[in-house]
Parts: sequence; structure tokens; C-alpha cells
Amino acid sequence: MSELDIVGKSYPQIDGLQKAMGKTKFVTDLILPGMLYGRTLRSPYPHAKIKNIDTSRASALAGVKAVVTYADTPGIKFGPRSEDWTIFAADKARFHGDEVAAVAAIDEDTAEEALELIEVEYEALPFVTDPLEAMQPGAPLVHDDKPLNIAAEFSVEAGDVDRAFDDSHIIYEERYYTNQVYQAYMEPMAALADVDLSGRITLWTGTQIPNMMRMTYAKALGVSPDNIRVIVPDYGGAFGAKMENNIHLVAAILAQKARTPVKLVNTRYDDFIAGNPRVPMYIDIKLGATKEGVLTAKEVKVVGSAGARLVYSMVIVATACYRVDSLYRFKHVRSKGYTVYTHTVPTACFRGFGNSQMTFVLESALDMIADQLNIDPAEIRIKNGVGPNETSIHGWKINSSGLKDCVIQATQKVDWQKKRQKKETLKGIGLACCNHVSGNRPFAREFDGGAGIVRVGRDGRVTVYHGESDMGQGQKTTFAQIAAERLGVPLQMVHVADVDTDISPFGLGSFATRGTLMGGNGVLAAAEDAFRQLAEIAAEILEARVEDIECRQGKFFVDGSPERSLPFQEVAAQATFARHGAPVVGTGFYKPPTVLPDPETKYGNISPAYPFACQVAEVEVDPNTGQVTVTNFVAAHDVGRAINPMATEGQIRGGVAQGLGWTLMEDMAYENGKIINPDFVDYIVPSALDVPDIKPILVEPVEPNGPYGAKGIGEPALNPTMAAITNAIYNATGIRVKNLPVSPEKLLSALKQKEPAD
Amino acid sequence: MRVPINITVNGDEYHLEVKPNRVLLDVLREDLGLTGTKKGCGLGKCGACTILLDGRPVHSCLLLAAHADRREITTIEGIATEEPHPLQVAFVEKGAVQCGFCTPGMINAAKALLDNNPDPDEAEIKSAIAGNLCRCTGYNQIISAIQSCTPSKSDRRAAERGKSNE
Repeated sequence: MSELDIVGKSYPQIDGLQKAMGKTKFVTDLILPGMLYGRTLRSPYPHAKIKNIDTSRASALAGVKAVVTYADTPGIKFGPRSEDWTIFAADKARFHGDEVAAVAAIDEDTAEEALELIEVEYEALPFVTDPLEAMQPGAPLVHDDKPLNIAAEFSVEAGDVDRAFDDSHIIYEERYYTNQVYQAYMEPMAALADVDLSGRITLWTGTQIPNMMRMTYAKALGVSPDNIRVIVPDYGGAFGAKMENNIHLVAAILAQKARTPVKLVNTRYDDFIAGNPRVPMYIDIKLGATKEGVLTAKEVKVVGSAGARLVYSMVIVATACYRVDSLYRFKHVRSKGYTVYTHTVPTACFRGFGNSQMTFVLESALDMIADQLNIDPAEIRIKNGVGPNETSIHGWKINSSGLKDCVIQATQKVDWQKKRQKKETLKGIGLACCNHVSGNRPFAREFDGGAGIVRVGRDGRVTVYHGESDMGQGQKTTFAQIAAERLGVPLQMVHVADVDTDISPFGLGSFATRGTLMGGNGVLAAAEDAFRQLAEIAAEILEARVEDIECRQGKFFVDGSPERSLPFQEVAAQATFARHGAPVVGTGFYKPPTVLPDPETKYGNISPAYPFACQVAEVEVDPNTGQVTVTNFVAAHDVGRAINPMATEGQIRGGVAQGLGWTLMEDMAYENGKIINPDFVDYIVPSALDVPDIKPILVEPVEPNGPYGAKGIGEPALNPTMAAITNAIYNATGIRVKNLPVSPEKLLSALKQKEPAD
Repeated sequence: MRVPINITVNGDEYHLEVKPNRVLLDVLREDLGLTGTKKGCGLGKCGACTILLDGRPVHSCLLLAAHADRREITTIEGIATEEPHPLQVAFVEKGAVQCGFCTPGMINAAKALLDNNPDPDEAEIKSAIAGNLCRCTGYNQIISAIQSCTPSKSDRRAAERGKSNE
């Protein structure tokens, strides 16, 4: 690969100044002529029969243009992975927050007032919020057709697990619990819906999966997918949450009935109680090792709470069951996963997608094994870690792996050996590793990969169209860098269009840490195609062979003779003239060499590239309050190659901060089936005072399947953080954190219990 | 019932009649079209709606518009002159902007700090933006962006700029 001009450099976000000057129009900022404001009425009960809904008083209120309930919907059961959703509760509300009715009015005040005039007659029913209780015989059922509330099961077994445990020198067995946490993106979920005379629906919404969402919603609304257009303006964060949610469909139903555009923005309260927070999990782990610390066998049982309907929780539980098996050289593994309905808010994707839950548990367990064997936690990870060009137990082809380098560089940076040996009271240092994917083959069945369109207009303006999603992580900038690099133009000549399903490629979206690799490869292929078309024109003018044409810094020239060059703009103009006005449009796609896992054995290869990481945390514990302060944090990440180091480091820091919040602060607390802290007053996310200086280290082994060698970074940024911190707490106090979060009260009481023994 | 108010927003005077229960945030966004100020929680806990009221940072989601009568308001749209404000440039260049939804409020909080205390230390910066939540960045880059606008760091910033222009 020749020297790179644009890729590998820390450009600021191409749309950063727009945002910093307040000029970016986010979803919640959008206004259309005649637009109404929507509000949703939600169930005040975790489980209740809906005996009657009277909307007459609300409809009569001046300024109210539409009041809708289940009766106004096609009544079709649907769901992204199941058929247990309806738009609005039909006969029963199944969680506190379930959609019951909605109004559209001339302003938010009127809409709010109208909500209070809707009379719903409920009959409260018994409910269950804990998944283990929900699996007990006699527990109230969330859906009558699912006995014991079991929505889905997952099993995988490879090797001879029982024998491997028999042969183990040491076995660690424990139950862990990872709690429900909220993504807390700064812009709440929202949608603006408009319906044209033919009935075609346009939805402006912040979504990670514009195309897949359209397919799900087409079914829900009983229309053909081409009757729905999704446009994705800039939006304020997602972290996994912004996929399918009833709020978008409620906006569409309101717009259908009101025959005018409707904007529906979740209040923060609505967003807490009816967003799609993280899947809480009980995880039983049994982990064996030899005397030398070589891992022998692993068995896990996962029970995850789906909440009242399936969004993606069963895929998340499956991921928890077996993704970590490709972090270390496991030979004997057995996992069983249960996804269980409860009368709580439906749970779904949150950065890490189940792998973060299990990484916390595995990395805690491994720390205990290292402790009992008196082996350095860094050494035990290097000893077992998957290296480059290995195939994991489930068939995953690890091309590049910087895992070992991550451990070495992270520990060197913090002076690990010295700090572990020279132990100070109530100060501790711990580490944890993770693996992840850059795309997840089984997530969308039909195909995997990414595509791009690169349009070069008459004036040389380059526009990139993609089908993924920039939720703020800087996807647009990454794609612009890739296109600029391949075309040989300065970055400022490249623009990236908002995703519009009428125009953009059918991308699967930004999830599974797939955007940069899949979408980036798609954009690269499209840029390659556009370059070839332009090079043909340049070759004619320069009287050279097309294969000898190069372009750098916006100038076409013949390889070896840069002194005679043509400006990119001129070639673009000549190309357009030669085509009688047609722009140069390059298209391309990337087909990853993934293998859909076998339904029985789960053997396959789910991603074209696997990122790795090692994070080290240093903590201080206050013996009087139980407060944990993270005093230092180093995060070494194998990113293949950073397309944009500053953006990559930004992802790492953000992920660590989010993991820190989960570990020490955040918890969606339930009482009587209701979340009792559904606001930022009582649900505390980290502020600038809580986050230490996080030191990222980029390990760049260059991934053969990545665009310019890149792998993804979004989710691995958070995966190891929880265990890195709790392993440091263990080092500081000898207390093993088994339930997240480790609140000061919890740690203080554990410290108190320990005292007499000391 | 409506209350007449006179407010100055970004140097422009407005004579408005507002419902007594209306908060300044909604008036700015809906009546004046100044959507740079964001609504993140409505409870004064996320800071996305931070504006400057007579130069002091306030949560515009908690302030009744009627209480802003005869006050001077600066929003994110009003802090740039011909050029973007140095904080706006620094936020972009330092990677302090990801999704950007917290950015307007965060920049206003930072501006209020620097206007009163041009050379704050790190603890003062952290405490000045402690009421402004950012879920994307982990704050490190935001703090360095603000630091780069202080006199003690501005030389280094100029040097870094020179380097990136090479």
C-alpha cells in the first residue's frame, strides 16, 4: 500500500463546526409547515387488562387534531425478531410505559392536556419483573402462548466439557448479575412523520438501521416497504438503542389520522420507561484451568430479561453465551441461554450487545483463577489469548489479533508490575480484556456486507451515499476520509449525504461495530468505481493508459510524471460533458468472507474481523463511604488501523466513561413494577467530575479485511471497562463484585462485613 | 392569558406575548427558531439547554420566559462574531464534538467560565461543566478544548496549529 494522504490522520468531524455553532438540525429541531405535536399515553401499570378507552373528551379539546389507539392501527402483530408487538396495547398493557393511546395537537401544551382527558379503565393484573422468578411455574405470564415466560433458548456445546472439568486443576464457579442500564443518549427518541396523498409515509428519525427498520414497519403498518421512506438527519447519540421502537409507528399513525405532519418527541421520562435499555442478565459461570493457568473448560448459563416484548434480546443473550469463546483458546465450552419475558420495559441493544455482560463475568472469573493460582492477571491473559491467524473453537477466523500487544502496552503504560507488587491499602489496579466483532453475520439473515455510491458532479463535488448511520460517532468523517483517499482529493472536496432510503444504498446499518468496516469497504468500492470512470477520461486527455493514471491532492497525472497534471474538477467536468450531463456515479459493494453459523453447532465465522482490547484501571476506595474513585485508566485497543486516530480515541474515551457509569453509578431501579428513577435527577450518569483522564493506546496490526486495514471500535471501547474496574476493586479490597453496579452503599457494607476477619 | 415580555436575544430585541407557563427554552426554539439550544431532559439536569442570561449560564428549560423579561440572552447562535468563537473552533479541532447535542450548552457553560475566570485550572473547568452531560466523549476532549482557550495553554495551541498546517 502506498503512502496514505488522508487515512490515518486526525481530522476534526467534517460537520463538527456546524454542530458547535448550533446550526445542525437534529431530528427534534425539524419543523414542517402544518406540523402537529404528538404525545403518547402510557400504561401506569406493569400489567393490566384494558377494559375500555374513552377518547371523546380528548378529541373534543380545541387544538386536538387526532387521538389514536390500537383501534386506529391495522392490528397486525409484528416485531424485528418476533411477532409479539402491536402498535399500542390491544387488550392488555404489559409494562409500565406500554403505549395505550396518543394525541396530535397544535402545540405540546394542548397535546399534554389532551392526554389527561383520555379515560382508560384498567384492571390491574399480577406481574413479574425478575427473569428468574418469571421462569417459575405459576408466575404471571407476559404472553399467554409462552409457558414459563421463556421467549427463546440458545445452546452451544463444543469439545468434551465434563471431562475437561474433571481434568482441571482448579475450578471457579459463581453467579453474577448485570443490571439494567439506560443508554442516555442526549437527544431523546423522536420521529417526524408525514403521509402524502398516495398514503406513502416519510419518517425523519434518528435510527441506526434505516433500511431494516423500514422492513419491520412496513409489516406493522400493513403496507409495502416501498411505501415507507426513512430519512436520517443528524441525531444525538444512540449507543444501540435507536433501532425499532413503537414511538416511530405512533407518529406515523397520528400523521395518517391527522392528515398532516406530526412530530413526536419522547419526554426524557418516556424515554426512560419505554426506550430499549440493556438486557439484564443472571450469569452462572464455571471456569476451569490447569495449574499453569491454561484454561481448560467453560460452562455458562445465562438468563436474560427481554421485558414485555422481544426487540433483540434473544440475539443479545446468544451473544453473551458464546462470543467470548473466541477471546481465549477454549477447547471445551458449553452455554445455555434463556431469554425470558418480564413485565418490564422491552430490553435491547446497548454498546456491547451481551458481550459486555459476559466479558464482565469471564474477566472477573479469570481474575479469581489467576489470584488462586498466584499468576499475574496479565500473564494469564497472554497465555490464553487468541493470536493472529488462529481459528477459534466456533470456527471464527482471526486474521489479525493485537490482543497480546494490547496487554503488553497497557500494562507497560501503567507500570503494572510495580504497582501490583507494591500494594497500598485501599488502592488497587486491575485489568480486563475483550474481543468483539466488526459486523455480525447472523444479525440480518439475507446478506451481510455494505455498499456505497460515490457521485462526482460537474464541478468536482464528491458526494458519498451510504446506508449505515452517523449517530455522532463520526461515521460521515470516516467515510469521507476513505473516499478522499481513494479518489485522491482533499478531504474538504468530499461530502456525505444523510441516509435517505429513497436514494442511499440498502445498508444494514450501524450496529455490531460494523459501520467502519462494512460501510467503509462499501464506500471504498464505490470510490474505486468512480475513480476508474474519471481515470478513463483523464487517460484520454493525457494520452496515457488508464492503468497508469493516478490522482493525488486533487490532481490527475500519469504515474511517474506528476509535473503534467489535470485538476480533479476539470476531469469531472469533461466526464460530465462526455456523458451529456450525466454525473459520474460510482457504485460498489463489499461481500465479507463470513459464514452463517450452523443452527445446531453454531460453527461458522460471524465477522470478517475481530477487534481486541486490554484496559487497565486504577482505583481508590474510601473506607468511610465506600466510594470508588477511578484515578487512572489506560485502554489499549486493536483497531486494525485507525482511519482517524482522534475519532477512534474519542470512541474509546466515550466507551470507557459509559462503562464506568455502569460499573459505579447507573441502575434502573424497580419498585412495584415501575422504574423509580426515570430521570437524570435520580439516574446519575457520569459527569466531568466522575471521569478520569483516559489514556487510549492504538494497536494497529492492519486487518486484511478492513478498509485500509481498519476494524471497528464502538463496542469494544466499553466491553472490558466493568471488569477492569471491579478487578481493581478486588485488588484494593479483596472484595469480589458480583452484581453491578457497585454502589458506595454496597461496597461499604461489604467492607464492614470483612472488617472483623481482618 | 399571556404575558408581554421584552427580551434581547443575541443582540436583537423581541417584544413577545407568552403564556405564563412557557419556559424560555421553548420560546427560543419554537417562537424564535433558535434551535441551537437543545432540550435534553426538561428538568435542568442535563445542561443541553444552557444559555447565557446576562452573561451567566442558566438552564433555559427551567426558566419561565416571563422571568427573562428585560434580560439579555445569548444562545449558541449568538456567541460567534464574524468568525466562530474560539471555543467553537477548539471544540471541533480537539474532537470535543461527537454527536454534538450537548455541545451548544457545553460551550455556553465554558464561555461563562472563561468570561469570569480566563485562566481556570482543570478542577475549575470540570466543576463549571459538571452540570452539562455528554454521553459520547467521556469529557477528556472537552476539557482539553476549554484548556486550549486559556492563556496558559494558548501558546501551545498556536504551536500545535502550526504543526498541523505543515
